[in-house]
Amino acid sequence: MKTILLGLLTLMFIVGSMSNVNSHEHPLRHLDCSECHTCDRPTAKEPCLIACPRIAAAHSTSKHSLKEAPDSMVLNTLENLYGPVAFNHKQHAEMSEMGFDCATCHHYSPAGEIPSCNECHPAEGISVNLSQPNLKGAYHRQCLGCHREWNHETKCIVCHEPERFTGAEDVVQDPTDILGISHPVITVPTKKVYDTPYDKGPKVTFYHNEHVDLFDLKCVDCHQEENCGYCHHLGKTTPVVKTMEEVHSICNDCHLEDKCSKCHGYEEKPPFTHDVSGWHLSKYHTDLECRNCHPTGKRISTMNGDCTNCHAGWNQSNFRHSVVGLQLDETHLEFECEDCHADLHYHQTPTCDNCHDDDHNYKKEPPGERL
Amino acid sequence: MDKSRRKFLSTAAAATATATMMATTGHTSDRLGHNPDEMFSVLVDSTACIGCRKCEYACNKTHELADHPPAYFEDQTQLQLGRRPQHDAFTVVNAYEDKGAKEGEAYVKVQCMHCNDPACVSACLVGALTKESHGPVMYDTWKCMGCRYCLVACPFQIPAYEYHDVLTPRVRKCTFCTERLHEGKKPACVEICPNEALVFGTRKEMLDIAYGRISANPQRYQDHVYGEYEIGGTSWLYLARADFQTAGLPLLDNQSPAEITENIQHGLFKSFLPPLALYGLLGLIMHTSGQREKSEESTDA
Repeated sequence: MKTILLGLLTLMFIVGSMSNVNSHEHPLRHLDCSECHTCDRPTAKEPCLIACPRIAAAHSTSKHSLKEAPDSMVLNTLENLYGPVAFNHKQHAEMSEMGFDCATCHHYSPAGEIPSCNECHPAEGISVNLSQPNLKGAYHRQCLGCHREWNHETKCIVCHEPERFTGAEDVVQDPTDILGISHPVITVPTKKVYDTPYDKGPKVTFYHNEHVDLFDLKCVDCHQEENCGYCHHLGKTTPVVKTMEEVHSICNDCHLEDKCSKCHGYEEKPPFTHDVSGWHLSKYHTDLECRNCHPTGKRISTMNGDCTNCHAGWNQSNFRHSVVGLQLDETHLEFECEDCHADLHYHQTPTCDNCHDDDHNYKKEPPGERL
Repeated sequence: MDKSRRKFLSTAAAATATATMMATTGHTSDRLGHNPDEMFSVLVDSTACIGCRKCEYACNKTHELADHPPAYFEDQTQLQLGRRPQHDAFTVVNAYEDKGAKEGEAYVKVQCMHCNDPACVSACLVGALTKESHGPVMYDTWKCMGCRYCLVACPFQIPAYEYHDVLTPRVRKCTFCTERLHEGKKPACVEICPNEALVFGTRKEMLDIAYGRISANPQRYQDHVYGEYEIGGTSWLYLARADFQTAGLPLLDNQSPAEITENIQHGLFKSFLPPLALYGLLGLIMHTSGQREKSEESTDA
């Protein structure tokens, strides 16, 4: 009997441990564990991850926003024959985003913070893993991989300050010029007015600055696959002109429900003001970003104008009523908000009939002093 | 019983022989008694070369060669001139047509290949050129008598001669930066290469990397590592997208010319038989002609 019990217990233990393993289904089970983990038994607490696992799936595990990244940096750890490289990270990142994503350059990055290049590519010495280049090789291959293709330019001074090696004078470094050399300046437009063949509104006014600054669109939201290669493709001399359908499909991502007259008109359209929504932004709301109140959706979501959308915590004791231009008298200060503002709809005229007779008029006899 | 014992013994002998053979193949040594796997080697990936000519600059500086200003090495028009290594330039980079490349051309660095079984070493009468066991083909000025046979023998036309120096001319070529190797450094050209188109390590490692790159990017490379087998193998190995011949590397047989010529010569002179036979023949001719003269004299008398 004892042996049977013992056998049963052992069987239960084995089955239990097996089901335990299965309950933690690993997303990359098809891979050999050692491709990502240094220890034999990685746990959630101690995953012992390799910094740069060379698997194709590695970079798909983490997404980063451009705001986390530095705008520019000076690459000077390897200064030698040539001076440091002033690297405009933001421009490169925006361009990469339109093509692929951060993984265009930050390959094999595990989930979490992106490791710096020299964590995998040592700056000095004969590299242990010869198929993994040293920092110098890694930098140059990363940059030249694209720069070679786009302008057939491999001259060191395109990126490096030249004076140290050749004694040549520094080329003019214009910060608005994306390479600092030889590339025409790309300006970000404020407003663009297009002439279209549409009879009922030939002019389309497009406020680029509003879409970027106010509506918080990223370059890639509209400029898909329009990175450097868009112009600098081998054999391509002029940028491709978009067809009418292509142009409309970009705008329709957000403006599908809008009428043609939203963009088309006989005259130029004025810039955006919040008044067009029928809800005037008081001085308390002018400094807010659109996304503070309209947080979701690529298209700015319409709201019902209720204060409680954002100010759910307000009540009669912590809301200073004078800010709306009406100092409540002592009698009315005692009431709860919803006693006058029926169903908490603050944008509607308050009702007085909860307490007063039917003929009582809010406008004629306000519950306090107008300021 | 006796029969089975004999059978056992012969099987054992065969097994031992096989084991010995396997042991010897484990430590392959070539005709010169070196192990090519262990030699230092450089892999030149011409698809990664950007033609910046920094290797030329570093070589020039390290070996105190021609006194060019740095700006000279920035001049990329030099790539188009089809230059050859000179007495004052141990390495040069040339451009070759490569339709698959981003620029439509590939850049190939030219220098001494440091052959495993060098023709120059074989041709040298005085042993001024030697193949070191760790890879470099070295030149000894003090032994050299200036015959320039090495210049003729080299299938890559690498050694150059200081014709301008009347009194102390030397044969000049890439030294594989032997001094730097002894200090534990990479060759100067490898160290400066910004794009790591040059990789340095043992020959076995380089071949592994080369085939690794080919299998990872089969459309980028010819499925061949130039120098693995050519003329008995070289310490410098090349990867290319276009034909190696288009890239300026000559089409060569796998057997080293040194081996071919030495086999013929050594065969001829084996056990000193051909000279003996020659002198024997001459002796015989002398003897018979002497006899004839004698008999003619006697008839005259």
